[in-house]
Amino acid sequence: MRAIVWAAAASLALIVVYLALGGASYAPARVADPCSPRDWRNPQGLQQTAEQIVLSALDGAACKLHVSREEMVLAFGSRDALRAFARKHHVSTQKLDELVRSGLMRSIDDAEQAGALNPTIGDLMRGFVRRFPVAELVDLLQQLPGF
Amino acid sequence: MRTPIVVLALSVGVVLADSSVVTIALPDILARYHVEISTLAWVLTAFNLALALSALPAAFLARRRPAHVFGLGILVFVAASLVCGFAGSFGVLVAGRAVQGVAGAAVVCAALDLLSQLTETDARAARIWTLAGIVGAALGPAVGGILTQLLGWESIFFVQAPVVLFALVALRGARVVPVPEPAERPHVGANVALLLISGGLVAALFLLVILLINGWRLDPLPAGLAVTIMPVAAIAAARFGKTIEPLWARATSGVILIAGGLAALGWLPHAGAAWTFPPQLAIGAGLGLALSALTERALAGRSAQAVHGGWTIAARHAGVVVGLLLLTPIFTTDLHHSERDVLASGTAAVLDSRIPPLDKIAVARHIAVAVDEAKQEARIPDVSEVVGTHKGSAYADLVSKLQDQLDRAVTQAFSRAFLAAALLSLAALVPILLRRREVSV
Repeated sequence: MRAIVWAAAASLALIVVYLALGGASYAPARVADPCSPRDWRNPQGLQQTAEQIVLSALDGAACKLHVSREEMVLAFGSRDALRAFARKHHVSTQKLDELVRSGLMRSIDDAEQAGALNPTIGDLMRGFVRRFPVAELVDLLQQLPGF
Repeated sequence: MRTPIVVLALSVGVVLADSSVVTIALPDILARYHVEISTLAWVLTAFNLALALSALPAAFLARRRPAHVFGLGILVFVAASLVCGFAGSFGVLVAGRAVQGVAGAAVVCAALDLLSQLTETDARAARIWTLAGIVGAALGPAVGGILTQLLGWESIFFVQAPVVLFALVALRGARVVPVPEPAERPHVGANVALLLISGGLVAALFLLVILLINGWRLDPLPAGLAVTIMPVAAIAAARFGKTIEPLWARATSGVILIAGGLAALGWLPHAGAAWTFPPQLAIGAGLGLALSALTERALAGRSAQAVHGGWTIAARHAGVVVGLLLLTPIFTTDLHHSERDVLASGTAAVLDSRIPPLDKIAVARHIAVAVDEAKQEARIPDVSEVVGTHKGSAYADLVSKLQDQLDRAVTQAFSRAFLAAALLSLAALVPILLRRREVSV
């Protein structure tokens, strides 16, 4: 009988220690809610400013589609991935195009208001976003070094 | 101990080690034959299913002519091992494994009868036979890992062939014993408990090895060495735990330790082989206690030892098949979910990293491609390959974050399967406690 008590105590101790050390929560980090505001980091240079604008725009579009920003980023990896994403979320590529474009416009406004973007460059960026189809952007990204 | 007894025990150990010996070699077998992962499991299932189905017929045959059945079993086992080692196709390998299972059943069941003749006491024969089986089953992954890394997976079969063949020396001077009275009814409680425990142990003997090698990217040799804790603990527990009486209390203690160890594996707080050592210690000790107590009970007071030994072998290996069938879908489903989670958390790590913005886009895309390629090849992507050869603290920081996310995802993918295995093992308490009076000797 004593052996059963020892075995139960040893098993329980092992489980309790592992749980106390975080065993139940050792899992991949949850991605942030795209609808929650993110800190606007202090960007240095145009490239970092543009990056934050794009990420902020993706947050906005992802929030409207009820997906994560990360899923949207992966969707822009290739035209096939973009089409698969549009199919999965029952949204046309045209609608996706509109969502990203309006998100970009709003992010450029936010960047200007935060003083992170010169108004002249902001106007240039707005002009670019208005004219450039998002699907073409995917092709453009494929041409970048490292792809 | 006399040589024939040692070689008989060795043959039982080698045959039962075959149940789990190829686990570490599975990735190499996959790379060689290019089969689906679900198909790959047949390398394990074929052997265990054949052994479970053949154990009883083999035991009945062994009662009449133990020496003949043992000798023939050894020769067929050796031939089947060579077929497995030289297999030109996956189908031939699986067929060879099934024949190994059938021949292995003959060897193991007949060995029990021969041991009874050599030791002249059924109880001592049963103890040697049980210990050899426990050591063999628990040592399988470790031996397989060492052989796979040093000599290639085929060597597992080439090495075991001469070792098993050597067991034929045990037949020198073996005498034909008259057929005893009809066998008594098997001990249902002990055999059902053995089935359930063996089903749970699939997680410790198969999934843990896959986690170490495929999940945490350990080489077969260190992975093999990492899992030697279990057989060492099993041998120690079987040896020193025999004083625990009554048998049902020993079996209950063992089951509780196995379930506790498996649950701890399901709640690992970090990735890394060292975190598996305490649970392995518990599982090994539990295995030594529970299997020895239940096998002793299944055989105690029964004149037809080989038949009742056959029942325990059938129950244990049917349990392995049940465990594989129950736990594999849980594990593969969770692996699929983890893959989705790690893709998202990895992309988040890249987007929030301090590397140049244009590199982020390339790295995020590389992650998606690497995860997809790794999935096709049933392996875990190499994070340093994904990030490339960039230098600098920002990249080093990103590699470390990606590796952490990957480790978390892989470890989580195994969690529910380990917890399910813990429950399956714990279910063995029902037959043990229900038939407590019978289990008490």
